[in-house]
Amino acid sequence: MELFVWMEGTGLAAFVRTVPWVYPAVETAHYVGLTFLVGAILLIDLRLLGFARSLPVSSMIGLLPWVWVGFVINVISGSIMFVYGATNFGTNPAFWVKMSFMVLAGANAFVFSRAAARSGSQWLDSGNVPLFVRAVATASLVLWVCVVTTGRWMAYI
Amino acid sequence: MRFLEWLQTTALAKMVAETLWGYPLLETLHTLGMAMLVGALGLINLRVLGYKAELPILGTRDLLPLAWLGFTINLISGIALFTSDAVYFWSSYTFRIKILLIVLGGINAFVLSRAAFREAQAGSSRYVATTGIRWVAGSALVFWLGAIIAGRLIAYTP
Repeated sequence: MELFVWMEGTGLAAFVRTVPWVYPAVETAHYVGLTFLVGAILLIDLRLLGFARSLPVSSMIGLLPWVWVGFVINVISGSIMFVYGATNFGTNPAFWVKMSFMVLAGANAFVFSRAAARSGSQWLDSGNVPLFVRAVATASLVLWVCVVTTGRWMAYI
Repeated sequence: MRFLEWLQTTALAKMVAETLWGYPLLETLHTLGMAMLVGALGLINLRVLGYKAELPILGTRDLLPLAWLGFTINLISGIALFTSDAVYFWSSYTFRIKILLIVLGGINAFVLSRAAFREAQAGSSRYVATTGIRWVAGSALVFWLGAIIAGRLIAYTP
C-alpha cells in the first residue's frame, strides 16, 4: 500500500492529474494497443483452429510482431494509468484477476512457441495443426477474452 | 429529440443504465467486436497495400465473416449502449464524428471488396493493387483507427 501511495506522489502521476488531455490520450492509446494485440491474436488463433484455410499458417503466425507492438503500447499506457490511480487500481480485485489472466496468457504463449519450435516444421507449411496446438490456441482465445473483460470491469468495481 | 427521450425510457435502456452488469458487459462486447472487425479488415487493407504479399488476396476474403461478426456484435451492443443515454450521445460531436468515420470505413470496405477482389480475379496470382485501390485501403485504415480514437474520446469531449 505504501508503494501505491508513493506512486501517486510521483511527478508522472502529478502530470497525468494536472494536464487534462493526458489521461484520455493514454486510455485511447491503450485501446489502439488492444486492437493490435487482440486483433492479431484472434487472427493467429482462429487460423490455427482452421478458420480462413486459404491463408498459410506460417504467414498468419508472422503477425506476431503486431502482438508485441500492441503489448508494448499497453504495458507503457497501462503503467501510466496505474501510477496515476495506484491506490485505487492496486486494491481493485478486477485488476489483479486481469494480471493473473495475463500471466496465464503469457505462459500459454510460451507453451505455443515451444511447440512451434519442436514440431512446427511438420504443420507450419502443411496446415495440419496438431490437436495439442489447437488446444493451446483455444486457451489463448479464452484467456485474452478474460483479460479484456476483467480490464473493462475494473472501472465498475 | 422526442424519439431519443422515449428511447431512454425503454426497458432496454433501463437495463443498460441501471443494472450493475449491463453497461460493463456491453462495453466488453463492444471492445471484443472492435478487435474482430478492425483486426480482420486491417489485415485485408494492409495486404492490399502490399504487406505480407505472399498472402493470396482472394484468400483474405475468408476473413470477411470475422469482420461481419465483429460489426454485428458492435452494431447491437452499440445500439444498446446508445439507448441508455440517447440524448447525450446524439448531441455529442465526437459521437457523430465516430459514426461518420464508421460509415466512411464501411463504404471503403464495400468499394474495396468490389474492386480489389475483381482486379485480383482478373489478374495474375501475385496481386499488386493499383494506386486508386491503395488509396481506398490506406484511407480505410485511417477511418477505422479514427473511429476507435473517437469512440474512446466520447466520454471526455463535447
